[in-house]
Amino acid sequence: MTYIGKSVKRVEDRRFTTGKGQYTDDIKLPNMTYAYILRSPYAHAKINKIDTSAALAMDGVVAVFTGEDVKDVGGVPCGWQVNFKNGDVMKEPKHPLIAHERVLHVGDNVAMIVAESKSIARDAADLVDVDYEELDAAVDAFKAVADGAPQVHPEAPNNMAFDWELGNPKEEVAEALSNAAHITELSFVNQRLVANAMEPRSAIGDYDDAYGRHTLYTSSQNPHLTRLLLSAFVLGLPEHKVRVVAPDVGGGFGSKIFHYTEEALVVYFSHKIGRPIKWTAERSESFITDAHGRDHITKAKMGFDAEGNIVGFQVYTHANMGAYLSTFAPAVPTYLYGTLMQGLYTTPKINVDVTGVFTNTTVVDAYRGAGRPEATYMIERLMDLAALEMGKDPAELRMQNFIPPFDGVNQEGYATQVALQYDSGNYEGVLRKALDLAGYSEMRAQQAATSNGKLVGIGFSTYIEACGIAPSAVVGSLGARAGLFESAQVTVQPTGKVTVYTGSHSHGQGHETTFAQIVADKLGIGIDDVEIVHGDSDRVAFGMGTYGSRSLAVGGSAIVKSVEKVLEKGAKIAAHLLEASPDDLEFGAGKWTVKGSDKSVAFGDVSLTAYVPHNYPEGMEPGLDFSSFYDPANFTYPFGAYIAMVEIDKETGKVDLKRFVAIDDVGNVINPMIVDGQIHGGLAQGIGQALLEGAIYDENGQLINGSYMDYCMPRADDFPSFEIGRQHTPCPHNPLGVKGAGEAGCIGSTPAIVNAVIDALWKAGHQVKDIRMPLTPERVWKAMNN
Amino acid sequence: MNLKGKQTFQTDAQAIWNILMDTNKLAAITPGISKLERIGEDQFNATSDIKIGPVKGSFSGDLFLVDKKEPHAFTLKIKQESKIGNADATVRILINEVEDGNSELSFDGNAKLSGTLARTGQRVLTGVASSLTKQFFRGLEKELDSIRETIPLEEIKEKPVSTKKRQNIFVQFLNWLKGLFKS
Repeated sequence: MTYIGKSVKRVEDRRFTTGKGQYTDDIKLPNMTYAYILRSPYAHAKINKIDTSAALAMDGVVAVFTGEDVKDVGGVPCGWQVNFKNGDVMKEPKHPLIAHERVLHVGDNVAMIVAESKSIARDAADLVDVDYEELDAAVDAFKAVADGAPQVHPEAPNNMAFDWELGNPKEEVAEALSNAAHITELSFVNQRLVANAMEPRSAIGDYDDAYGRHTLYTSSQNPHLTRLLLSAFVLGLPEHKVRVVAPDVGGGFGSKIFHYTEEALVVYFSHKIGRPIKWTAERSESFITDAHGRDHITKAKMGFDAEGNIVGFQVYTHANMGAYLSTFAPAVPTYLYGTLMQGLYTTPKINVDVTGVFTNTTVVDAYRGAGRPEATYMIERLMDLAALEMGKDPAELRMQNFIPPFDGVNQEGYATQVALQYDSGNYEGVLRKALDLAGYSEMRAQQAATSNGKLVGIGFSTYIEACGIAPSAVVGSLGARAGLFESAQVTVQPTGKVTVYTGSHSHGQGHETTFAQIVADKLGIGIDDVEIVHGDSDRVAFGMGTYGSRSLAVGGSAIVKSVEKVLEKGAKIAAHLLEASPDDLEFGAGKWTVKGSDKSVAFGDVSLTAYVPHNYPEGMEPGLDFSSFYDPANFTYPFGAYIAMVEIDKETGKVDLKRFVAIDDVGNVINPMIVDGQIHGGLAQGIGQALLEGAIYDENGQLINGSYMDYCMPRADDFPSFEIGRQHTPCPHNPLGVKGAGEAGCIGSTPAIVNAVIDALWKAGHQVKDIRMPLTPERVWKAMNN
Repeated sequence: MNLKGKQTFQTDAQAIWNILMDTNKLAAITPGISKLERIGEDQFNATSDIKIGPVKGSFSGDLFLVDKKEPHAFTLKIKQESKIGNADATVRILINEVEDGNSELSFDGNAKLSGTLARTGQRVLTGVASSLTKQFFRGLEKELDSIRETIPLEEIKEKPVSTKKRQNIFVQFLNWLKGLFKS
C-alpha cells in the first residue's frame, strides 16, 4: 500500500490555509439581496400584532415577511419517529418557518426582512413593531412535566413529546438490584451545550425563472437530506428542480446535520421576490438558533454482587427537546443512548426509561457523539464511583466486568441487553495499553506523594459507541424515516484520472484526502490523479451526509464497492487487450498482468480503451464509470480507554488537567494523522464539557450566557499534550475494516475528567458523589468546603 | 436579576420624598436618563441610554408609581423596551427615618431581562447596577446639599449634626494615632 496507513498531508489544507476556501457566505450572486431575521426576545409569548409598515417604507428594504406569509407552507419536519410506551406516535407539533401568533423560544423567527444590504435589513428590523404578551415559560425538563407547568404545545399534555423504554423488564432489573451486595446511585445533569462551529450557519436561496429551478447554498453536513426534506416536506417542490450545494463548511459537530427554517425561507422567498436572498447568522444568533446538545437530567442505579460484578442497571432520564422536534432529536436520547447502556460490560439486566420533554428553549439535537456521550458519561461515572465506594481499583473493577475479547469472525458478535450486536472488541486490550502508557502505578504513587497544596486525582473512562450509522433496515425498525446507506460514483476518465462523487460531506474531516488515499491505492495510481467531489446535489446523485462517524465506514465502503466494479470491468477489457482470460490476470501497481508472464496492460490504457472502444470485448458497454450504494450490515463499534490526571488548587478549586492518556480502537486506520486530529479535537470538546462549557437558561427561558464573554470555550492552554495511542481491531463487516473516529474523543473524555476530580476529593476525605458540570473553580471549591 | 441597595442621608424622609417625586430633579440625578416626562398622575415616560460592557442600547417605556405611602414608601414599576431586549422591573422603595434625624433610603426588587440584554449582559449587569446605584445616591446627596444651601441658616443650626461624620473624624484620628505608634 502506497497511501493507506500513511499520514498523507491533507489536500484541502492548501485552500484553507491560503484563504481560498469557499464558504456559503463567500458566495455573491448577481442582484443578490440580504436577509435579517427578527427573533423573539421572549421564551414564550403571544404575538398580538406585528406592524411592518415602517420597515417596509425604509429605503433599500425589498420585503418584510411574517408568519402570516408562510402559514400555509409546511413546517420543518422531524426525521425520526419514537413512539410512546403505549404505542402512540410521539407528539410532533408543527415547527413553522416563521412563528405565527405564538413564539416558543428566545430566537424563534418572528419576521424576515429582505433588503439591498445586510445592514439595511438589520436597521429595518428595528422598525418592525411587535406587540408581545409574555407568557410563563417551561425551561427545566424535569419541572416541565409536572402538573400546572406552562404548556409549550397544547397538543402535548404535560409537555411530553414521548416516553420510551428499552432493555429488560423493570421488575427483572429491580429483582437483580434487590439481590445486589452494593448499589451505586447517581443523580446528575448532563448539561446543555452549544456546538459553536467556527463558521456560523449561512444560506442562499436562488430561484432561476428560466429553468424553474431552485438552488440552495447552505452550510450543511447533509445537502441531499436537506434537499429531500425541503422539497418533499416543507415547500412541496419537485426534487429534480431543486439543487442543494454545501460548499466548504467550517465545522458542524452535529449542529449542521439538520434542516433549518432559514434554508426553507431563503428558497421560498427568493422565488417570491425573483432575486437571490442570502442569510448569514451572527454569532449571537448561532447561540440561540443552532440546535443545542445534551441537556439530560438522569437518575441511575447500578448494582454489584459481593465480588464486584455488575448485576443490574436502571436508568431514568428526562431529555430536553427544546421547543420543537429537530431533525434527529428524538433519536438522540433513545436509540443512540438507550442502546449503549451495556457499555463494555457483561451487565445481565438493564432497563432505561426516557421521557422526551418540550420546553421553551432552543431545540436540542445531535451534538458530537449524540446520545453515546450521555450513556458513556453515566456508566463510567458509576464505575469510578462504585470503585471508590467499594474500595476497589477502578481499572480492576472494569477489567473484571469487561465483555471478553471477540473478533466477530471466529467468535460471534456480542448481543447486548439493549438491542445491539457489537461487531468486534478487545476491551481489556485498550485498558491495558492505557495503563502501560500512563505508567499507572507510578501515577498513583505520584498522587499519594503530592503535597504542594494541591489535590491530585486520577479518573478513568472506557467507552464504546455505535457509529458508522447505519443499516437502513435496523434504523427503519427503530423509527428513522430515512435510509442510512451511502452512495459513491467512481468515474474513470479516458486518461486514467479518477473523479469520485461521494454522498458523504466533509466539513473538516479531510475526506478529500482519506478517500483519495483509498482510491489511489486500490487502482494503483497517484493520489493526485484522484479528485473527490462532495456537497453538491447536481454533481453527486444522492447522499446521506456526514454524522455519527459514518463517512469512512459507510461512504468509504461505497467507494470501495464502485472501485471493485471498475476493477472487475477493467479486468475484462485488459483480458481482451492481452488476449487472455480475466481469471489469468492479476492487478497490481496500476496494471493488469498475465500471471507468470511479463505481459501487462496499464490502467490508463484500459481506461482509454473503455472510452475509445475500437478494439473492445464484444457486447460490452463502453465507459468505466460505476455507482454504488452501500448499506452496512451493522453499526460499527469503536471503543477505547482513557485516563485523566488532574491537580486541584485547594484554595481556589481550580482544576488543572495534568495528563490525559487515550487509547482508541477505531479499527483499521487510513490516515493516522487525520485520526490523531479527530481524537485531539474530540478530547478538547469532551474536556470542554467537563470543565468549561454549559448553556445557562434563567427561569424565564432567557439564555444568559449567549456570547463568548460568558460561554467558555476550551483553548489550547487548557490542555496538556495529549498522550494518545491505538489498538486495531478491524471491523468484520465492512471492506475497509474501519470503525469511525470522529466522535470517539468527545464520548470518552468527559467522564474521565469528572472522575479524576471526584477521586481527588475522596482521597482528601471529601466523599462527594457528584459535582455539576462544568466543574468551575466555584463548584469544586464548594464541594471541598461543604 | 435582584436589585438591592441602601444609603443613609442627613435629612428627613420628606426631603428625599420630595426630590424623588420631582420629575426634573429625578431625571437629573438618575444616571442614563435623557428624558423623563409625566404622562399621568403616577405615570411617567422615560428614555435612557445605557452602555453595559459590549451591550449598548436606547431604552424607552413607562414608569408607574404604585402603593404610595408618603413620605415613607412607594413601588416603582418599570417597563423599558429597546432593540437589544426589554427590561421589566418592580422595585419597592422605602424611606425610613433612622437615628439622629437621618433617613435611610433602601430599595429591593427584581428585574426581568430579555433578548440580547439577557444573553450578553446578565453577568456584568449586577456590577453595573451597583455602580448606577452609587451614581444615583451621589446625585441625590448633591441634590440634598443644594437644598440645604438654600435653607435659612437658623434652620440648619437646628438640624442635628451627623454622628456619622463625627465618628468618621474620630476614626481618622485614631488611625492617625495608630500610624504614629507604628512608625
